[in-house]
Amino acid sequence: MKLYQVRKGQFVYYNNELHKVYGVKPMYKLSVHLIKMRDLTQHITNAASVEKYKPKEYDSFIFNHKAYTLRKDRKAEAGDYILINNPMQDSLDTYSLNEIDLVESADNKGVITSNSHGVKHNEYLLMVPGRAPDSNSIDRKDMANDDDESVNDSGTLGQTTSGPLPSLGDIYKRTGNDSIVEAMVVAIKDQTVYLGGGLEVPQDELMNSKTWEFLYNLLDR
Amino acid sequence: MDSKKNAGNSVFIISLLLTLIFIVWGVFFTDNLTKVTDIIYNGSIDYLGWVYLGATLFFVIFSIYLLFSKYGDIRLGKKTDRPDFNTASWLAMLFGAGMGIGIVYWSVAEPVTHYTTPPYGEGYTVDAANTAMKYTFFHWGLDPWAIYTIIGLALAFFQYNKRLPAAISSAFHPLLGDRIYGPIGKTIDILSIFATVFGIATSLGLGAMQVTAGMHEIFGVPNELFVQLIVIAVATVLFIISINTGLEKGIQYLSNAAMILSFAIMVMILIVGPTMTIIKVFFNTTGLYISDFIHMSLRLRPFGEGEWIASWTLFYWAWWIAWAPFVGMFIARVSKGRTVREFVIGVLIVPTLGTCLWMSIFGGSALEIVQNTGSHDLAKNITENVSLAIFTFFDYLPLSSVLSILGFAVVAIYYITVADTATFVLGMLSEGGTLNPSNKIKMTWGVIQSALAAVLLLAGGLNVLQTASIAAALPFAIIMIIMCFSLVKGLRSEIEVQKGNKRSAYHS
Repeated sequence: MKLYQVRKGQFVYYNNELHKVYGVKPMYKLSVHLIKMRDLTQHITNAASVEKYKPKEYDSFIFNHKAYTLRKDRKAEAGDYILINNPMQDSLDTYSLNEIDLVESADNKGVITSNSHGVKHNEYLLMVPGRAPDSNSIDRKDMANDDDESVNDSGTLGQTTSGPLPSLGDIYKRTGNDSIVEAMVVAIKDQTVYLGGGLEVPQDELMNSKTWEFLYNLLDR
Repeated sequence: MDSKKNAGNSVFIISLLLTLIFIVWGVFFTDNLTKVTDIIYNGSIDYLGWVYLGATLFFVIFSIYLLFSKYGDIRLGKKTDRPDFNTASWLAMLFGAGMGIGIVYWSVAEPVTHYTTPPYGEGYTVDAANTAMKYTFFHWGLDPWAIYTIIGLALAFFQYNKRLPAAISSAFHPLLGDRIYGPIGKTIDILSIFATVFGIATSLGLGAMQVTAGMHEIFGVPNELFVQLIVIAVATVLFIISINTGLEKGIQYLSNAAMILSFAIMVMILIVGPTMTIIKVFFNTTGLYISDFIHMSLRLRPFGEGEWIASWTLFYWAWWIAWAPFVGMFIARVSKGRTVREFVIGVLIVPTLGTCLWMSIFGGSALEIVQNTGSHDLAKNITENVSLAIFTFFDYLPLSSVLSILGFAVVAIYYITVADTATFVLGMLSEGGTLNPSNKIKMTWGVIQSALAAVLLLAGGLNVLQTASIAAALPFAIIMIIMCFSLVKGLRSEIEVQKGNKRSAYHS
């Protein structure tokens, strides 16, 4: 038997994508309320279909259509986003695990967020915009595994279908190349994906996070 | 930035020194302290009584005005903010913070004491019982909650809408401008800290007496001053550990547990106690309370002895005011995202009904039991051992041992949560309203508040606790009156800002 212990604030994978638990209503069959990090849409499910993930330094993910990398090599300054991954609230504080807040002011004891939360420097990870080259993408559970095992080169069909397939309106960015290319999926024919700007890319190449990075879907906005 | 930092430090140092002087006075010149507090106590009856009565009635009228005013739609926080907590848990938290230890301590003792020595008329009669309940409602009803409403609203409004530091002086920004960072603002902060330390010390003193009484009842520990001091010392060590190890989360769980337990006790007594009497008491006393509210609010005895008024009404008003910065800070923290109207309903009206219900259940059953025994012994016994009152009362109910243990748990938990939260609030107030007070300052206040509670108990127990809060709260009562005007000025400017926003939104 597997015992599930889902708590508010935890990062979890649901349908292979990164979500945050924003509420648990214990008496209901579908008790876990989720918010998808990528586009902030709401979802509801049960504890058995989510898998916990604990964010750590150098993890990168897309939050509200923008990519961020978690760092702790410097203290947050006004205007930065922080992920409160280690909440040690004082008795009157009202924030909870993994809250994402905008820093309004900072001093050497801690930061004050735009939500009037007082957070000490050891309670958060800084969210640096963009994906750092040494970062570890945590947006999708399987994609991360693929990276580790570096089996992408084999390009087998079974592997690409395990992740979500590209769909019309997805916007991708080419990584690992100096020239910046961002393009939208305009057509799909069998294993070939047609991107705007006349690009034709095989589906498994597009799904390889080392060459192409999924940003967001146009319809999500 | 530097000047603000210094402001924080000088506020901390001066208020710490003031409190330390008082503690040294209490430890080395105990007799002198008792004498001086006696003089203040008597003086307060003659000279300060009307100030407290007038101010508190004004606070009630002012908060009702806010409820119906055009400021009711202003949201505390950004316009898009929504409450952090659902309404039920919000109300439970407000109730727990505002009453806490006191409501357990007094809910049986006060009605019974009034029953034996009523403010007017003869003791031990049916009339005396009704008067006793009426005054209990009065002391725990609208007035304390109006005080909390004003201070909580002022703190929340200037903190979330005007983005000022979480200090009492911030509430004076509309009147003083940037002078809140100067000497005037510092003086306001020092006075508020001074009042708060005494309010907290009074509650901790009562709490220590109550915890000791509970241990006496359950474990047979002697009910003596010495044990009370040990209780304070142990609690101090516990919350200092909690500050240093990040066990604060545990404190939050504890405080939730205390609220659930007290609700359980209330329901149990409603069921096993004289249910019909309780319901009758609730209805009858609510009627009496509403119809005699003005009379009670302004009652002084110009041609007679004012002893009763000083030891009850004035003490309560002073205690609520001294306790207000602490509760206000808590209420402000949990109320972000509520509108002013929601806030007033949630902090003034609902908790008043809650306390009245609680008092009817505890006081009503206690009075029923006291009357049924037919003799004066039980009532006298309760009056003479106020801190044992609630446990004596439990002995006369079915399931008394369960109730005693639950009651003891609630009091002990309230004690530790109040002490812990108080260190945080005092830290915030004394560091210029920062949301990240340093652990050193929190620990300093932790030790100081415990020491003060101990000194007050040493100097003479309950009477000295009462007198000390009456004296310490007076300057803060004046500050609160001015705060009302400042708050209105701030709210008015907020309405103008919001109107301006709407217009520009149309044009763009």
